[in-house]
Amino acid sequence: MTTTSAPPPAPSPAPGSPQHAPAGTRRRRRTVPASLRLLLIGLVVAAVAYGAVGTWTVIQHASAAQDVVSTSEPLSLAAQRMYQALSDADVTATTAFLIGPNVRLAARERYAADVGRAAAELTGLENATTTSANPRLVHSLAAVAAGLPVYTGYVSQAQTQFLLGYRLTAGSLMQVASEEMHLTLLPAARASYAQENAALTAASAQATGLPWIVVVLVLAIALAYVLYRAQRWLSRSTNRVFNLGMLAATVALVVSAVWLIGSFAVARTDLQRAVGHGSVPAEALAQAAIDTQQARGYQVLNLISRSGDATFVKDFQAIRARLGPGPGTLLAAAAGSSSGAGAHWAAAAGHDLQAWYTVIGHAYDLDSKAQYTTETALVIGPGANASTAGFARVESDLSRAINADHAVFHSNATAGRNAFTGLDVVIVLAAVLMAAGCAWGLSRRLAEYR
Amino acid sequence: MALRSRVLAAVAAALPLALAAGCSGGTTPGEAAAAQAGPTASIPAGPANGPQSLSETGSTLLFPVLRNWAAAYRQQHSNVTIATASTGSGKGIAEASAGQVDIGASDAYLSSGDLITNPAMVNIPLAVSAQQVNYNLPGLRPATHLKLNGKILALMYQGAITSWNDPRIAAINPGVRLPRTPVVPLHRADSSGDTFLFTSYLSTQDAAWDRVTGYGTTVNWPPVPGARAETRNTGMVAGCEAIPGCVAYIGIAYLASATAGGLGYASLRNALGAYEAPTPRAIGTAVTSFVSTTPVNETISMVDGPAVTGYPIVNYEYAIVSTKQRSAAKARDIKAFLHWVITAGNAPQYLDQFRFQPLPASIVSLSDAQIAKIG
Repeated sequence: MTTTSAPPPAPSPAPGSPQHAPAGTRRRRRTVPASLRLLLIGLVVAAVAYGAVGTWTVIQHASAAQDVVSTSEPLSLAAQRMYQALSDADVTATTAFLIGPNVRLAARERYAADVGRAAAELTGLENATTTSANPRLVHSLAAVAAGLPVYTGYVSQAQTQFLLGYRLTAGSLMQVASEEMHLTLLPAARASYAQENAALTAASAQATGLPWIVVVLVLAIALAYVLYRAQRWLSRSTNRVFNLGMLAATVALVVSAVWLIGSFAVARTDLQRAVGHGSVPAEALAQAAIDTQQARGYQVLNLISRSGDATFVKDFQAIRARLGPGPGTLLAAAAGSSSGAGAHWAAAAGHDLQAWYTVIGHAYDLDSKAQYTTETALVIGPGANASTAGFARVESDLSRAINADHAVFHSNATAGRNAFTGLDVVIVLAAVLMAAGCAWGLSRRLAEYR
Repeated sequence: MALRSRVLAAVAAALPLALAAGCSGGTTPGEAAAAQAGPTASIPAGPANGPQSLSETGSTLLFPVLRNWAAAYRQQHSNVTIATASTGSGKGIAEASAGQVDIGASDAYLSSGDLITNPAMVNIPLAVSAQQVNYNLPGLRPATHLKLNGKILALMYQGAITSWNDPRIAAINPGVRLPRTPVVPLHRADSSGDTFLFTSYLSTQDAAWDRVTGYGTTVNWPPVPGARAETRNTGMVAGCEAIPGCVAYIGIAYLASATAGGLGYASLRNALGAYEAPTPRAIGTAVTSFVSTTPVNETISMVDGPAVTGYPIVNYEYAIVSTKQRSAAKARDIKAFLHWVITAGNAPQYLDQFRFQPLPASIVSLSDAQIAKIG
């Protein structure tokens, strides 16, 4: 393969030789090797810099994407599970209490499983390596750790009093337990979840952030321009069309830059989809599920306390306004960002919620008329039209929607993380190839001046 | 009386110290000193300087006691004016929650709904109260206290026992000559903590009542010919005095006026089967049995408790207060006044005339811990 169109000018001691050339020509001929040396050093340094900055950037993004999948998402999920387990424990305990002193085995098991799951998730969150760096998270987890035994203690005390026959004392203690849950545990669990979710969002933002990728691409463009100008200059000054070494460096640069852009674009799209269509709707749905549990809890607590005031109705209405369905509500937010099965189950939850609201409204009407027996049957009794069945349907819809959104998150986040696979090696190889190509190609030209 | 007052105050102050001393093993001197300071360390001895005013509204049962407390407190701290009003427990809770008054007075603790809506609110027991069941049977000697229980009372309020000489009443009152007077049940027309206490008692002792009517601040009273509804405790006293054969549930603070009006009061069957009149001893015994069960936020129902010789319908009278006051001076005034009420104010000179009982020492300590949260 011929890559040169003419041999380099032969050195001659004749009148044209450097020794006998005029002063201006002598300066010009000294400048070419010096320029070549300068160019060689500059291009090698630039190639190494491109490799170093590019590799560091890729490692940073890949590491952040790995964090999203293997650290932040599991921790966020653990915090959400702890939050939901606590809320479910409260609903289960108060409902079982209302049914009677002989708590059914299924309810006892569900309560025990909820408390156990909350404790296990709490331990996992406390032991996570990222926790100690976040004082607010440490504070929230400590509040859950301190409040959980207090809560279970009051529930046990209430159950004991109930079994001894002191139902009203038991009822007041169950209220105290529920207040501990609503005023201490759930806010702390919610704060923990918010902190872990913020960490997930931050890790995702770091994985998809543009600044350093732009720096690498600017470096690549600058390097490409220098390579182009250098090759054009060499071509004109040496009458050779191509310099093999520099051509190889250019090809390596272009390939690595295109690979970088492609990988990053894929990773960014996947991770953004993971957050936008996975974790964001899952977060809204998890909050909706907890709000649903609280609405159910208020119904039951109202029957236990029979205070005669309307605060539970107001609390329920506040939850309903936040929960939806309807514009600006949690369900609307989830349905708007969920995709596929998540959107389907979020819509189903909205439909079933409307039916459940009707039952709750009827129950509160009965309460205002002091028809407690009918109200109790409606709230905790069997039957497809009772509150228990309505609550179970909504709970099931939301659970399926959350699972679907988590699946969307996990598959997309994993794909996003995988998009970075091998990219750092490509950048390093490209940088080495560029440095070697430039050094070799320009050394050949320099050798001609010796 | 003054001596008892001083003893109560000393006990209230010493209890946290004793508890802290007992628990201080293994602590550093600094921690022990901090622990020994107890909750009362942050409770001021008196109100802020300069003219100060506090407002209170709520429980009609607690109103006469609170009025006396306010007057006595002003004698000791002439710069403080305390306005009291008898408006009902529900209004006391609502106005205190809305920040319209400094202190709400209530026969009932805050509901979970109240607390979820207003997490800054606390309910602080100020004294022990009870509820008696009065009847108007002119032929009966004042010294005789008819024995009644939840089942009998439920039957009366359901219209199943229509005459005072019913064999079921006679069976538990041997030796008492019961008149043939028709039973006229009186109940509260307004939403009331007293109705909550009374129907709670019926619910715990009569499963049929619990199943059909239940308990609450308002209930669907079974339709009984001649039954009457009255408003407030004063209405119940006046209504019962006017109707021979009436049976009514009335707050203990009105026992003196009820007996002065010719009404008798019953010995009620407790959970363990004993019949107890609302004497200071029986009320005190009933409350003492709940001391170890009372949670730190002092929310507890004490109806039909486990004391063998305890009176079955007892309750705390609560101050409903926000822990977040709009100024340090206001917080200081409220803390100082409430601390005075549960210590010096629990002396017999203030409580005896209304048949209220002082708080047990442990409950004073818990109340102080809650008062200390006000800021």
